[in-house]
Amino acid sequence: MNDESKSSNSSRSDGEPETVRSTTPIWIILLTLMLLFLGSVYFDHHSGWFSSKVYSPYTSKDEVELYQPKSGAAAQAAHGRQVYQFVCGACHGVDGMGKPGQAPPLAGSEWVNANGFHRLAQILLNGLNGNLQVEGKDWNLNMAAMGAGLSDADLAAVLTYIRTSWDNKAGAVTADDVKAIRAAVGGHPSISAAQLKTIPE
Amino acid sequence: MNPKENFDSNFGEASVPASRLVTSLASPIDASCRVPLLVLFSGAALWLVVGLLLSLAAVMTFHKPDMFADCPLLTYGRVQPAANDALLYGFCIPAGLGVMLWIFARLSRAELALPLVPVVAANLWHFGVLVGVVAILLGDSTGFVWLEFPRGGSALLFAAFLLIAISAVATFGQRRECELYPSHWFLLAALLWFPWIYSTANLFLVAWPVRGVAQVAINSWFATNLIFVWLALVGLGTAFYFLPKLAGRPLQTYYLALFVFWTLILFGSWMGITVSAPLPAWMSAASSVAAALTLVPVLAVAIITFKTVRGVPHGGISCKGEPFCYIKFGTAAFVLSALMLIAEACPQISRVIGFTWFGPAQVQLQILGFFTVVMSGAIHELLPCVMGFGLPFPKLVRLQHWLFMPGIVLWAGSLAVGGVAQGMKLGNPQTAFADSTAAALMFLRVGTTGLLFILLGSLLFATNIFIMTLKWKLALFKSLLAAFKAPLATPSASASLRRDRAVAEGKGGEVKP
Repeated sequence: MNDESKSSNSSRSDGEPETVRSTTPIWIILLTLMLLFLGSVYFDHHSGWFSSKVYSPYTSKDEVELYQPKSGAAAQAAHGRQVYQFVCGACHGVDGMGKPGQAPPLAGSEWVNANGFHRLAQILLNGLNGNLQVEGKDWNLNMAAMGAGLSDADLAAVLTYIRTSWDNKAGAVTADDVKAIRAAVGGHPSISAAQLKTIPE
Repeated sequence: MNPKENFDSNFGEASVPASRLVTSLASPIDASCRVPLLVLFSGAALWLVVGLLLSLAAVMTFHKPDMFADCPLLTYGRVQPAANDALLYGFCIPAGLGVMLWIFARLSRAELALPLVPVVAANLWHFGVLVGVVAILLGDSTGFVWLEFPRGGSALLFAAFLLIAISAVATFGQRRECELYPSHWFLLAALLWFPWIYSTANLFLVAWPVRGVAQVAINSWFATNLIFVWLALVGLGTAFYFLPKLAGRPLQTYYLALFVFWTLILFGSWMGITVSAPLPAWMSAASSVAAALTLVPVLAVAIITFKTVRGVPHGGISCKGEPFCYIKFGTAAFVLSALMLIAEACPQISRVIGFTWFGPAQVQLQILGFFTVVMSGAIHELLPCVMGFGLPFPKLVRLQHWLFMPGIVLWAGSLAVGGVAQGMKLGNPQTAFADSTAAALMFLRVGTTGLLFILLGSLLFATNIFIMTLKWKLALFKSLLAAFKAPLATPSASASLRRDRAVAEGKGGEVKP
C-alpha cells in the first residue's frame, strides 16, 4: 500500500517488505561470546552445581557444609531441631509456644525446666492424659506416645533441644540416659497427670 | 467526515462511499481475511476496554480501600487477575493472531486458507475468555499467575488456538514465495510456542498438579515464556513486517533479524526465576545468566529498528500519530521493558526491587506499552485494506496515539519509580513495613491518571472498530438487497455476490462477549 518507488532494490513491486542481506556486525557476535563466557563463570560461582540443597544466598555445597555443625553439642542441637520440627512442631509450634486447645507451651514450662528429665521423657515414651497445669493454666488434653517410635539418639536430641531452647535452662540428655529410662518404663500405658506428679524428677 | 481529507494518502481510494464498493476495492487476499479478522478484532477491542476497566477497579483499591469492600466480586484478589487475563487472553492473543493471519496471507501472496475455521475459533476463543474472566470474578480461579482460568476456559482457549493455527499453517503452506521473510519465522515460532507452553503448564499445574516448589518453577517458566517470549515473537514479527513497509525501506538486515530470532528464543525462555524464588540456587543462577545474554537480542532489535527507520521522514522521534509511530513507540517500549526484566534478574538490583511495584510496571509496559501499541498500530494500518474502505474516524488514530503515549509513560513509569522508592524503604531496617508500602502511594496516584488516559485511548480504538463493523454489515445488507432486486446479474457481479454471501454466512455466530 505504501509507494513502492522508495524501495529501490525491490525485485517485486507488490509492496510487501524486503530485507537487506548485509553482514551482521562482528562486535555483536563477540559480545554474545563474551557474555557467554562471563555467564559461565558466574554460573560456576553461584549455582552450587545443581545441588538441590544449595539455596540463595549460599552459592556452593561447600559453603552450606561449612555452616553445618559436625559434632558435639551444636550437632546434637541441630539434629534435635530437625526431629522437633518433624515430630512435635505441628502442635507445640516451631517457637515452642504451644497452640490454644491443641498443645501447651514448652517454652518456660515448669515441666520442661524441671531438674531431672524423667517426667518429660515418660510423657514422650508413654503419652499423657488428664488435666495438667502448665504455667498456671489448665490443659485437659490427650497426648500420644510420640517418642516411643524414635531411636534413643533421636529422643535424646529432641529432649535436649526442648530443654535448652527458647530460654529454657535445663540440662542436656544423653542417648544412654534415654536407653536406661526406656528399659525401665517403656511400653507402659498412657499416664495421667496425677500419676506424673508421683514420678521422681 | 471525509476520510480523504484527514487520513494519510495511503487510502486515497477510501473517499469512495463504502456502501457502493464493499468488496471491489480490497484485493482478494485482503478480502479473504475480512470476516475472521473482524470477529477477532471486535472481540479483542471489547476485552481491551473491559480489561482496562477492571485494572482501574483494581488500582482504586489503593486510593479508597473500602470502595468495593461489600462486593466480593470486586475485591483486589479477584479483579486484578481478571484484569490481567482479560488484557492478555482477551486482547493481546486474539489481536496478535488476527494480525498474524493477515501477514501470512499477504506474505504468501495467497488467500487465507480455510477462512471459516478461524471464524469459529475466534468465537470459541472469546467465549473461553468470557468463561475464564467470569469464573475468576466469582472466585473460581486456579491461583497460578497467568493461568487463573479454570479448566473449562483453558480447554476452550487451547482448542481455539489450535484451530486458528491450522488455518495459519495452511495459509503458510500454500505460499507462492519459497523464500521466507523474517516475520515468518517469528510468527510461526509463536504458533508452535503457545500450544507447547500452555499445555505443559496447564497439565502440570491445573490438571495433575506437581508437588511443592516445582510448581513455582513451572509457573515462572510459563509466565516468562508467555509474557516475554510469546509477546515478543508476535510483536516483533509484526513490527518487522510493518516497519520496512511503512518506512518504504528494506529491513536492516536479514541476518541481524535471524540473530535476534535465535538468541531470543534460546536465552529469553530461561529467564524469570529471581534470586528470591524458593528454588535451588542453580535455577536462579541459570536464569540470571540467560537474562544477561538476552541483552544481545534486545540490543539487536534496537539496531534493526534504528537502522530501518533512519533517514525516513518522521523516522526519528518526531511523529504525527500515524500507525508508523505506533510501531516505533511499541518497539522502543519493548526494548525498555526487556531491559527492566533483565535488571530484575540481576541479584544486586533484585534485592532492592523484588516484591515491589517494579515487577508489575515491567509487565504493564510489556503488555500495554509494547504489545497493545504495536497491535493497535497494525490494526489501524491493515483494517482499511481488509475492509476496502477507510476508518470511520481517522483522526481518532492520532488522538489515540497521543493518549496512549503519555498514558503508558505515566502508568508504567510511575509504577517503576514507585517500586524503586518502595524497595529502598523496604530494605531499610529503620523503616516500618507500612511506610514502605505507603511510599508507593503517590506514584500510584500519578499512575492511575496514566491508566485513565490509556482507557480513553482504548475507547477510541473500540469505537473505530465497532463503527467499521457496523458500516460493513450495513453495506453488505444493502448490496445483498440491491442484488436481490436487480433483474439480471452479469457473471462477474454474481461471482462477487457469491463471495459476499459466503462471507455473510461465515459471520453468522459473531460473538459479543
